[in-house]
Amino acid sequence: MTPRLRLFPFPVPRSLFPFLAVVVPTMLSAQDPLSRAFDLERRGSFAQAAEIYRGVLQQSPGEVTALLGLERSLTPINRLAELLPAVRAAIAANPSAAPIYSIGLRAYSAANLLDSLPHLVDLWALAEPGEESPYREWAASALQRRDRPMARRAYQAGRDRLGKPDALAAEMAQLASAEEDWPTATREWVRAVRQLQGYRSSATTVLANAPVAARPVVLSTLAKEPGPEAARIAVDLRARWGDPVGAFETLLGILPTPLPQQLDVLQGFLELTRLDGSAIYQLAQARTLEALADRWTNPPQRARFRLDAARAYAAAGQPEPARKVLGQIAADPGSGPAVAAGATTTLIELLVRDGKADEAAAQLEKYRSTVPVDDYLRLRRAVALRWAQSGALERADQMLAADSTIEALAVRGRIRLYAGDIKGASDYWRQAGPFAGTREEATDRSIWLALLQPIQPDTLVAFGQALQLLDRGDTLKAAQSFERIAAGLPPGAGGADLHLLAGRLQAATGRATDAERLFRAAMVKEMPGTAAAALLELGRLQLATDRRAEATQTLEEMILTYPTSALVPQARRLLDQTRNAVPRT
Amino acid sequence: MKRRDLFRASSATLLALGAPAALVRWGTWPGWLELSDRANTPWLLLPMDDGQSDHLKAYGVTFRVLQRGGRAEWFLNHRGGSFLVPGDQVTVRDAALAGVSSEPVTEAQLIDLRAQLKQGNTDAVPLEKPPKVAVYAPPNASPWDDAVTMVLNYAGIEFDKVWDTEVGSQGLKKYDWLHLHHEDFTGQYSKFFLNYAGAPWLADMVQQNQRVAKALGYPNVPALKKAMANEIRAFVERGGFLFAMCTATETLDLALAATGVDIAAAYADGTPIDPEAARKLDWTRTLAFKDAQLELSPNVPAFSDIDGHQVNSLDRRQQLGAFKLFNFSATIDPVPTMLVQNHRDVIPDFYGLTTSFTKRTLKPSVTILADEPGAAWAKYIHGELGQGTWTFYGGHDPEDPQHQIGDPPTDLSLHPHSPGYRLILNNVLFPAAKKRELKT
Repeated sequence: MTPRLRLFPFPVPRSLFPFLAVVVPTMLSAQDPLSRAFDLERRGSFAQAAEIYRGVLQQSPGEVTALLGLERSLTPINRLAELLPAVRAAIAANPSAAPIYSIGLRAYSAANLLDSLPHLVDLWALAEPGEESPYREWAASALQRRDRPMARRAYQAGRDRLGKPDALAAEMAQLASAEEDWPTATREWVRAVRQLQGYRSSATTVLANAPVAARPVVLSTLAKEPGPEAARIAVDLRARWGDPVGAFETLLGILPTPLPQQLDVLQGFLELTRLDGSAIYQLAQARTLEALADRWTNPPQRARFRLDAARAYAAAGQPEPARKVLGQIAADPGSGPAVAAGATTTLIELLVRDGKADEAAAQLEKYRSTVPVDDYLRLRRAVALRWAQSGALERADQMLAADSTIEALAVRGRIRLYAGDIKGASDYWRQAGPFAGTREEATDRSIWLALLQPIQPDTLVAFGQALQLLDRGDTLKAAQSFERIAAGLPPGAGGADLHLLAGRLQAATGRATDAERLFRAAMVKEMPGTAAAALLELGRLQLATDRRAEATQTLEEMILTYPTSALVPQARRLLDQTRNAVPRT
Repeated sequence: MKRRDLFRASSATLLALGAPAALVRWGTWPGWLELSDRANTPWLLLPMDDGQSDHLKAYGVTFRVLQRGGRAEWFLNHRGGSFLVPGDQVTVRDAALAGVSSEPVTEAQLIDLRAQLKQGNTDAVPLEKPPKVAVYAPPNASPWDDAVTMVLNYAGIEFDKVWDTEVGSQGLKKYDWLHLHHEDFTGQYSKFFLNYAGAPWLADMVQQNQRVAKALGYPNVPALKKAMANEIRAFVERGGFLFAMCTATETLDLALAATGVDIAAAYADGTPIDPEAARKLDWTRTLAFKDAQLELSPNVPAFSDIDGHQVNSLDRRQQLGAFKLFNFSATIDPVPTMLVQNHRDVIPDFYGLTTSFTKRTLKPSVTILADEPGAAWAKYIHGELGQGTWTFYGGHDPEDPQHQIGDPPTDLSLHPHSPGYRLILNNVLFPAAKKRELKT
């Protein structure tokens, strides 16, 4: 069978053939030039495409598609000025077509015929009365030329002619923001948000970029503006600028009345409090979560908000409100088992943090069946460590006796060290290895192990007591204790290292004279690594106390005496900073 | 006297003094190496290849040797352009403090080394006197604003800051070497108005310049800057060494060419640019460029078509590539050779308000030291004017290719091997060898 070429993808009655023979070629010829021009454009033959568009426009001067095509084709070959006759003809032929004016504005602007722009805008405004577009496009063409004053005049002309003082507010706001005119930018953004709530996010994002010096002006401008819109922007900005708690207080006062909207606003604010993990943001987050819980009717979700609030309070160092919220979870019959377990865990953590290890241990055993195993083991280690720090070493050690995890071995090493059992602590920590606990905990163990290594006696009770003092936060007494121990040890067998440790602790408490004395005591020939570290610490101390010349001398001595020390790059960097050769970062 | 003649004369003196014939035979033993009490003193070689732990500070160590009255040698094309410095205690200490790798060299080893230097495209250039360095920068400029200031600080090379008041009162006469901060000598504040109108730092810049113009009796800032450009040109003509980067390169020449022609926009001097300005420019006054097309629109953030990259003109901006240093003959062209000493031949490019120099606009007398292969622009150029020389290096910060206003400062301790920064320091040390080299 001979295949037949089908002209149409559907059956066509024979009776229509004479009609189609006339119409189809006419249709093709009418569409062809534009299709061909578009194809040429796609191939990058802009000059040829422009010629075809021009031909179409000669036939139909008001044809917007062709005019747009001509603009597209002339732009990349830098011949946009040639568009002007076509634009004039298009306006004459089709004065009500808004896109023609938009193209015209761009063409006149590119041809630098700026005097013609207002007339074109007037024509456009006549064609579309009440529209902001003519003025917006006028300003856009000015901004394209980076002519901000002209853009401002265009926006203002729009406002005047439309009789709307708030028209084009978002555009005015962006212009003022770009010029760093923050009071104007603030007022205009408020106007924009009043017209369309969706602008609030843009307003906050742009105004948040105001430099620190301009922020008070922004906030005072917002305070003078009436209505909730300005207050909401102020709340968002204060939250971003480091005052989330103050922002939250203000927010509570301006919450909308309908409950769903209140929840929506509070959830939006909650996201802002998560911008930063610092204590002040944790506190704001806790209070926001609590406010959400108070308004939420679904019990499990309400309990979840409260649990998160309690954790945020705990992270912010606010145990009392954390306990209050945990109590509310306990009293709420709608809290699910998972939330209840989480609340128990948080409560025990708080008790441990407060030093109430006995109560924490009792709670832990009471709720053992509800707490996940990993959390149970973690909390037990925390309780044991707290007991050890308070002097109940035996009890602490017994609590972990059956726990063979590497984390428990690490804690038991610490407990042995509190007892002054240098060898026992070292053995436990070696068994625990470098992966027990967090990275910070592993680093801390490595530092202590390095310190213990040269110490000859297997047991030094005073060492354990000094460490307990340190972990309880009594840095000064700990430093004095370590110094006494150091005095009784040969320099090469831990004496120098303990002098260095004591010096660091004294420096941390701001006692520069004692610290310097101890650093010098640590500078012994038998321990070159310690001596290099002591010189570096002394240099740092001298810099911190504004003794640059002495610091330079000390750091130079360190580099020259111990050129192979791993600390030399640090000393060199400090030297460079001393002479302003590198920025202080 | 040519350098070879000088060496020959030195050799004759050494022989007359009874120096070992082995030393004199090579004819490269500089006269300043007193043999009497230092013949057995070990020297220090500061290698400048990949064995160097801090390339940038090595220049500082060498500079300070000269400052102390000592002498050094620059071994061109040997181990990345290494330095030979005396092995005295002060230098050893200085190198150790700076973290600069050094290798002790005995007299016997040095003789062998000199023999090696004779065999390839290498040479030994004596460095005699540290140049007195000035950086042209506004008084309130932060040390982190300018690559040259940063690297001089990092290497520990002393310099003074000078500004229009000093330049306008013959203050350049006491300096050998002048660096131009990224200044706009057309007086249009680098056209920053286009993007930073209202920024406090720009307002400060404008006020400061207007104040100085008024104090020095100029009607406006463009007039002041043109006068400064002419002072700087005179400095070079008298024998000074000029080094410029970024906008200072292009605008210095535009200002020189525009003597008597208004090329500044109305916001800078109250009158629009002369529409005939391009035609009226006098390129005989310029150092490097000719026949450049002036950008007449105040709304286009470019000065002319000298810059090949046009970073701030979105429709003209060219992508960054890498530039390649040319290889010169160490014995025939010692000056360009010194200027391109490096441990890398190909260096990643970096933007500045003026990033590169279109080759079409370069005068025939200009020596291209580095360019982007296949591109129409050069990166690093050099030339002479009167008794002095100038070097232009496009771009703002070799280790911050996309530098933006407000970016954090570059910390050079993180880039001690920066090949881009090395080119700046080559320029600082090159005048120490000037007297002998320019006569070659």
